[in-house]
Amino acid sequence: MSDVDAAAAFSDDEQRALACVLDLLIPSSNDGRMPGAGELGLAVHIDRIAQREPGLRAAVAAGVAALDELARRRGAAGFTALAGPDRLAVLKEVAAAQPGFLPGLIFHTYVGYYQEGRVLEGLGLDPRPPFPTGHALEPFDAALLEPTRQRGKLYRDA
Amino acid sequence: MAEDSVDVLIIGAGAAGAAFAWSLAETRMNILCLEQGGWMDPARYPTAGFDWEIRGLGDFALSPNTRKRPEDYPVNDSESPIAASMFNAVGGSTILYAGHFPRLHPSDFRVRTLDGVADDWPIDYARLAPYYAENDRMMGVAGLAGDPAYPPKQVPLPPVPLGKLGETIARGFNSLGWHWWPSDSAIATRAYEGRAPCINLGPCITGCAQGAKASTDVTYWPAAVRRGVRLATRCRVREITLGADGRADGALYYDAQGALHKQRAEIVVLACNGIGTPRLLLNSRSALFPDGLANRSGLVGRNLMFHPYGMVVGGFPGPPEGYKGPTGCGLMSQEFYETDLSRGFVRGYSFELLRGMGPVSTALWGMAAGRLPWGDGHHAAYDDVFARTAGVLAICEDLPELHNCVTLDPELTDGNGIPAPRIQYRLSENSLRMLAHGVARGKQVLEAAGAEWTRVESPLRVAGWHLMGTARMGSDPQRSVVNEWGRCHDVRNLFIIDGSVFVTAGAVNPTCTIQAFALYAADRLQKNLANGLD
Repeated sequence: MSDVDAAAAFSDDEQRALACVLDLLIPSSNDGRMPGAGELGLAVHIDRIAQREPGLRAAVAAGVAALDELARRRGAAGFTALAGPDRLAVLKEVAAAQPGFLPGLIFHTYVGYYQEGRVLEGLGLDPRPPFPTGHALEPFDAALLEPTRQRGKLYRDA
Repeated sequence: MAEDSVDVLIIGAGAAGAAFAWSLAETRMNILCLEQGGWMDPARYPTAGFDWEIRGLGDFALSPNTRKRPEDYPVNDSESPIAASMFNAVGGSTILYAGHFPRLHPSDFRVRTLDGVADDWPIDYARLAPYYAENDRMMGVAGLAGDPAYPPKQVPLPPVPLGKLGETIARGFNSLGWHWWPSDSAIATRAYEGRAPCINLGPCITGCAQGAKASTDVTYWPAAVRRGVRLATRCRVREITLGADGRADGALYYDAQGALHKQRAEIVVLACNGIGTPRLLLNSRSALFPDGLANRSGLVGRNLMFHPYGMVVGGFPGPPEGYKGPTGCGLMSQEFYETDLSRGFVRGYSFELLRGMGPVSTALWGMAAGRLPWGDGHHAAYDDVFARTAGVLAICEDLPELHNCVTLDPELTDGNGIPAPRIQYRLSENSLRMLAHGVARGKQVLEAAGAEWTRVESPLRVAGWHLMGTARMGSDPQRSVVNEWGRCHDVRNLFIIDGSVFVTAGAVNPTCTIQAFALYAADRLQKNLANGLD
């Protein structure tokens, strides 16, 4: 895709609000093992994809604008100015009113989150792609086959 | 590309075209293969990057409609519950296949005689057996001799390890007294013919960066090229052309720049898969064949068969670490393979082990299954699924039906403006009953293995991997398109050697049978060269 075709990047304010949303979608775990998606910097990942996918960009921009608007109606300076529990309540209300807001965002958040090295380590995995190290597996235990061996011929002659 | 005539023109460099080219090259004839894709670079396969899973939904997706590579052609599969998939490159769909390599059973060639349905094949298991063995050696097949579900056979390489997941499921089969056996797998489990051994990467279905999986770009093609076969890539064939004598005289194809060329040939061989081959024949209309080349029977594109798949995934309390090991290859059960009418259907199905998912796939599957909420409960729900799932796939035999077909779409075209295929397909009552049986037994075996929950997807829409039956073989020109060694009844120097020629589908992955038939057809062609292909 050429630069001409690419959608505009999110503004700094939109990115800050988006990071808050991401931390609500995947918060950090209580034991500290798993980072929050916003804390991990995934707003940049979402921004990059949204520049290639205008539909996603429009849905996220509209959703973030609605979050700010609802927060202001409730007396805050904006969505990011709300306390944590209030952010969650506002997000749920906006998600219900704008059903197109979250599905695409969640999809790309999950994809970005579960390929991050810190997340893989939190899952107990080596932070690496499969190749070139691969995985070790125990050799095949032929003793498991004894019941099948005792069945005798199972195919039909033809 | 020179327009000089060649002795043999093969169209398609996948499983069948590669085996056929290698075998026929013994004759030292002038052989050229045209392939619409290019050579793949294993260093660029997804498993070398952190984004390996999502690329399996993008540039390495199963469906050409999703992938949309320039060499792909679209398929209108909106009138089918199963979406067709194929890959266009040197190696064809073996680039993305799992490497499952089970043979058909002897009974699969005699379904009319034994079970009173469909038609018998004009060849039998004994006829193909030596070609199966030769193909196993060329591809480098792993497995274990002694499976009581098959006539005795040897396997060149030791089996793929089962891992904790496979052993868990194997114990489930044992507890029910059901057959299972390590899968025959086209995977080098130790160094073999210049290929590195499998290192259990996991996702074989986005290409094997290790080179252990036997895609034909790393097996037959290097050997065929050494024997003198020429392989021209990025050449998309538009139609087969006829001479004044009614014989095929070559093909018109577009090169990578879109220029149209004529390649002349004495013999033309189609190896374009069960959708690509009927598409090409239907696109090759002439005064002599107004309904498509070699289609006087009206059967070109008819009798399309997939293998309907029923998938059952289970969640286990202990981590079976299912993301380790080749995706599809582990064990296979053929407890329900042979006909038993008391089950409520004729013919049967196999079970294949389904290993677990990687981190991203787990999240997306959990999202789709409604098992993975966002918010505070996310991590606990994810931990309940990741590395704890295993499954079985019931791969069901699909019987041929005339109304299941490949035709040409009136509007859809590929990048060169060539009409694209349209699929019209529906599942028969027999297939639906078989799927229901397979899903119920799949749940039973996973629960016997210790699954705490199961989830079913049936039929599995993405599983249109096996494309068969659309130019069937037989001895009667009114009821078949090609004879027993792939020669078209209507055009004596035109051959078809891919899954299109299957009379029935069996209930196993078809690649090794496709290749064994290609080797057999090449052998018969050699023997008949001296008598004008009679």
